[in-house]
Amino acid sequence: MKAMKIIGVSSKSILKHKMRTFLIELAIMVGIATLTVVVSLTQGANKLIMKRVQNFGPDAIMVHSGGGKMRGPSTAEQANLTRKDISDIENINGVKFASPFQVELDMPLKHGNKFTTAWVMGVEPDWQDAWRRGAAKGEFISTSDNEQLSRVCVIGTTTAKDLFGKVNPIGENILINNVSFKVIGILERRGQSPAGTDFDNLILIPFTTASRRLMNQPRYTSMLRVIIADPAKAKHIAGDIRDVLRENHRLASTEEDDFRISTAEQVTKMIKSTSKTLGIFLWLIAVISPLVGGIVLMNIMLMAVAERKREIGLRRAMGAKKRHIIFQFLSESVILTFSGGILGVGVGVIIAVFIRHLGKPISITWLPFAIAFVFCVLIGLFFGVYPAKKAGNVDAVQALNQ
Amino acid sequence: MIELKDITKSFQNGTIRTDVLKGVTLHVQRGEFVAIMGSSGNGKTTLMNILGCMLKASGGSYRLDGADIETLDDDQLSEIRNKKIGFVFQVFNLLDGTSALDNVLLPLIYADEYPSDARKRAVQLLESVGLGDRIHYKPSELSGGQHQRVAIARALVNEPAIILADEPTGNLDSASSEEIMNIFKRLRSQDKTIVLITHSADDAGYAGRTVFLRDGKIYEKEAPK
Repeated sequence: MKAMKIIGVSSKSILKHKMRTFLIELAIMVGIATLTVVVSLTQGANKLIMKRVQNFGPDAIMVHSGGGKMRGPSTAEQANLTRKDISDIENINGVKFASPFQVELDMPLKHGNKFTTAWVMGVEPDWQDAWRRGAAKGEFISTSDNEQLSRVCVIGTTTAKDLFGKVNPIGENILINNVSFKVIGILERRGQSPAGTDFDNLILIPFTTASRRLMNQPRYTSMLRVIIADPAKAKHIAGDIRDVLRENHRLASTEEDDFRISTAEQVTKMIKSTSKTLGIFLWLIAVISPLVGGIVLMNIMLMAVAERKREIGLRRAMGAKKRHIIFQFLSESVILTFSGGILGVGVGVIIAVFIRHLGKPISITWLPFAIAFVFCVLIGLFFGVYPAKKAGNVDAVQALNQ
Repeated sequence: MIELKDITKSFQNGTIRTDVLKGVTLHVQRGEFVAIMGSSGNGKTTLMNILGCMLKASGGSYRLDGADIETLDDDQLSEIRNKKIGFVFQVFNLLDGTSALDNVLLPLIYADEYPSDARKRAVQLLESVGLGDRIHYKPSELSGGQHQRVAIARALVNEPAIILADEPTGNLDSASSEEIMNIFKRLRSQDKTIVLITHSADDAGYAGRTVFLRDGKIYEKEAPK
């Protein structure tokens, strides 16, 4: 009851000192808005990464031809994986199967008067199982297509849109690097790769056709997607694959790998490391700006205590105990930060919605709100304690005789 | 009601020690109206602060309504002030921007139990000091004399054992002063114990007894009736 009365006193004082209230709320609002936006952005970025890793597939291990630290797929030109490599890898314990494919990046495509470029992959039917992705419409590349070196293709939705607009592409012919291919299917949509490339700007043709007719690489395979039974063993199996390949390629212990192996875990790590620096920086801002708000709060509250010494003295004379005065000023701080925090969250959400409209990944969930509320109360308490204690220690006799 | 015995008070300012009160002895009976007179610099305000339990004496003993003030801690003194003392100040000390009614209710915020009839009581008190039609006025809308009347209502709202008035007419014109002193006179007839500190002989004339504070000591002398 007494506490409620004192909170009432605090609320009245907040309403009475409008300028002071405005300044504190502004400072806290900016801080909390920053916090919510940054948390939302970070969450949005993480979600995107998780989605991309999902696209990569947690049970997949990618084997690239060619060593070094290059990123992205290996092209047919760099291919150095042999048929023996593939069968040896398939014999490793825990490997379900390995799906080889040839890759050529950004090949010129033409249909009628429309041009575009896309990644072209030479694949076998097991590509569908390896990527859990098949033809959404029409047919996929079959074994007989591979045996007959057929000039058929399955095209991604982005490529289809670029070449055909809204026309149904199935049954039409397109030119890939000036070789005519018949479109037999449209590939299921997939979105972006872990590295951010469009997985739908893609054309699949038979592996043999790619090797012999288009990419001039009849002996070697440029890439391999290995599917394993247990995603938890990915790291271990990746090690086994490395051993097999080093042995098959007769690499001396001093030589570097002439291939690259990547697992979902590594891909996640790679992406996270690039966004980490930015993430730390953002978090720093996110944490610092409410703290600055807190310092503003403390400053203004200290001024308020100095200004209101007479009021404090009077309240003490009327029988207020030290702790009543402390409670009054502390609850002023907490009410101010709390309402500033609510405003901050509101502004933060507006900014977040705006950012989402701009097409940036941002996730609006309850978590930033919860963090902001907790942070607000903590700031109000932490930065409010000192001014409140100061108010409690005001010498009432001196204050009244000023 | 009030028993001051050999109260001394000195202030230490660096190496300089100032003895303000040098053995004040004063007894005030229940229902008595005592004026303490003295010119400024004689320790009136210090004595007032000690009587009001705002300041502890350096020596001597102080009993107020049976309580041994010298042995109490800060919280207990706050309670004493809240329950037993009503203050009236020279500069009124009303809260700005706060209605007369809320100013009167101020001491009750800190009461152990907020009386259920608090509002009614405050309104009645404001009526009794002639401000029944101005309970929602803010201090800026009231005159000096009205300020002091609000302050008196505030001093009475917790039904204190004693009322301490420190130069209550010091900032008022003579007409307002007379009004205020008449209120005190009426309170006395209602059996309130009043201690008035003043340098005005006119004001002291309203008291039943006047004592003189000179050089940190009290000199008793019957005031002329």
